[in-house]
Amino acid sequence: MTQSPTLSRRTASAPSQPRKSRRRGPDARAGYTFLLPWLLGFIALTVGPMISSLYLSFTNYNLFDAPKWIGFDNYTTLFQDERFLQSVGVTLQYVVFGTPLKLAAALAIAMLLNSKRKGQGFYRSAFYAPSLIGASVSIAIVWKAMFGDSGPVDQGLSFFGINLGGWVGNPNMTMGMMILLTVWQFGAPMVIFLAGLKQIPTDLYEAASMDGAGPVRKFLNITWPMLSPVIFFNLLMETIHAFQIFASAYIISNGEGGPAGSTLFYTLYLYLRGFSDFRMGYASAMAWLLVIVVGIITLIFFKTSKSWVHYSGDSK
Amino acid sequence: MIDRRKFLTTVALGTASAAFLSACGQSSSSSGQTGSADNPVSITYTWWGNDDRAERTRKAIALFESKNPDIKVNGNFSDFAGYWQKRATEAAGGGLPDVMQWDLSYLRDYGQRNQLLDLGTVKINTDAFEKSLLPSGQIRGKTYGIPTSTNAFAVYYDPAKLASLGIAEPDGSWNYKEFNAFLAEVGAKGNGTLFGGTDYTGIWWNFNIWLRQNNIKAFTDEGKLGFSKDDLKKWWNLTADLRGTGAIVGEDKATQLLPKSPFGSNVTATEVTWDNFMAGYLADSGAKELKLVPVPSDDPDNLGLFLKPSMLMVASAKTKYKDAAARFIDFMVNDPEVGQIFKTSRGVPASKTQRDGTTFEGTDKLVVDYEKSIEKYLKDAPEPPIVGFGTLESTFKRVTQDLNYGKLTVDGAVDAWFKEAEDLIKQNA
Repeated sequence: MTQSPTLSRRTASAPSQPRKSRRRGPDARAGYTFLLPWLLGFIALTVGPMISSLYLSFTNYNLFDAPKWIGFDNYTTLFQDERFLQSVGVTLQYVVFGTPLKLAAALAIAMLLNSKRKGQGFYRSAFYAPSLIGASVSIAIVWKAMFGDSGPVDQGLSFFGINLGGWVGNPNMTMGMMILLTVWQFGAPMVIFLAGLKQIPTDLYEAASMDGAGPVRKFLNITWPMLSPVIFFNLLMETIHAFQIFASAYIISNGEGGPAGSTLFYTLYLYLRGFSDFRMGYASAMAWLLVIVVGIITLIFFKTSKSWVHYSGDSK
Repeated sequence: MIDRRKFLTTVALGTASAAFLSACGQSSSSSGQTGSADNPVSITYTWWGNDDRAERTRKAIALFESKNPDIKVNGNFSDFAGYWQKRATEAAGGGLPDVMQWDLSYLRDYGQRNQLLDLGTVKINTDAFEKSLLPSGQIRGKTYGIPTSTNAFAVYYDPAKLASLGIAEPDGSWNYKEFNAFLAEVGAKGNGTLFGGTDYTGIWWNFNIWLRQNNIKAFTDEGKLGFSKDDLKKWWNLTADLRGTGAIVGEDKATQLLPKSPFGSNVTATEVTWDNFMAGYLADSGAKELKLVPVPSDDPDNLGLFLKPSMLMVASAKTKYKDAAARFIDFMVNDPEVGQIFKTSRGVPASKTQRDGTTFEGTDKLVVDYEKSIEKYLKDAPEPPIVGFGTLESTFKRVTQDLNYGKLTVDGAVDAWFKEAEDLIKQNA
């Protein structure tokens, strides 16, 4: 969300792009008027609640009694809360392993689908399909059944002599299951990769072939740098997305984050604190901490991006 | 010619203001405290439960409306977990339904925070109730809930499964050592396919009963914990030798069976829980017959048992129709025909009028007979648990699960639970 305007700003500021003359006035007024219903909704339903949650994060609000100001208490107790620390660990594990794997899968499939072959349209739809249904409740339920005792996964692995039993009830396996679920939903970044791949001029590859470059060389020296803005975009979006995982964890663990806290993701714990334990102030503090941390991570990404992301029109 | 920009502006403004106006139009207020047959008042009623309970409740509501043509009842239900999240948000917005089915665990959370109507201020007949039962709906002298029905703790077992293993049926006169030996025997003979039971130390109410057997109060009158870390340590150590053996079904298995219980899934031969789960277990497991016996106790004269309101009827403190709400509650807890509709699916009816007007047959009779058989051991129902009890109860279960996964030692589990409990009591002080 915060990402795309920045990308376009950088592209727009390139010298080759002529700047359009400003034409404000009545048109703008019509524009803003059309925007008004959305803007009102945005202020009333997003900005307003965010500000009030910032206030509540400094209180002991419990949904019933008037909130009482307690300063930074919520924020300081967070770091003595073992379940909070556990939820941070679980979430980081998911982000650090899940996101790169998902992007790798997305890029690999996108490159396969980029070649000219008969029926590519069908394959593209087929590979995108899991993402359309993947976020839904039903898939999490199917996933739970697949990875249960004597489910298809257990039986399949047993056939090869690997007896792991059900993954759903085993605290050491649930993270692997959750990561597989997210990797399987590679469709959205894949489509973006595919669009990016199509932008790379084919003559670059032809020239490289003439010079005797192999596929690995071509990938490292042409595809990767040419695709780097798209990779950067996907990496950022998927990382932010991964921090917010909720629905699938909620369903697979029956809303408890089990077994043994192995699927106690950050947002799930936030939800439990807020709506099961009625500790809205505490939950608000958690929410704001997440906003701040994700903001910092985004900032770090942008800082490091200078060294590896190449925009067309850049002189580097 | 109409100027294009002017046209656009007008259209946009028009759309926006229409949306705004229609949003305002919905807040017309209704008036009137009482209704008449021509102009009945509408009250809202919400409950948790499955389709079976929904069907029975609809019948009861229809009966109420036919007897009270000046009141209309709009019903709404959900499952137990989602139920409390909905009530929490409604309470925050000041929009709780007029009448609600309630659970003891949440009575203080809402009652003490002035969300529930003091039913002592309205007319509800409680003459037909056991005097020992009513205090469980009261907090500091005010009545917030009227019990619809009672349930008691029991050990369920499946006689067919025991017979197939060649194990004699228990008679319920056992101490904890004997009960453990029984579970271990089932586990040993069940050979990995049938387990003794679930870890009974994971259920708060079972711990509460054990405390009562040892004459310890779970909570003090000031809302503090009435037991020590050592007590809890002793409790969780009761099954220390059984965890990880066939006597107790592993958490990894139990987790996967959710939302069904291991007992309902025919994975265990016994289960220690409330006696009104009978119908549910029968339906889930498909067993021909399930039997109930009392929980173990090291003191044969003190089983620590009590009748708990399996559910209560409460009204919102903000209801505009106190009189209609009171009449509906009175009807639901006292009317014999309502008893005939629900049988024991809400528990055994608490009001004698309703109980005597209900015929119990088959499994319903089993539950009623069980509660009769333990009558001489029954003591006063516990006070409504402390604020935030729902969280303590679920933490109790979660910590025991970690014990069973081997993620925590008993000492670690005790520390973890006490930390959470003390933090919560401090929060709500």
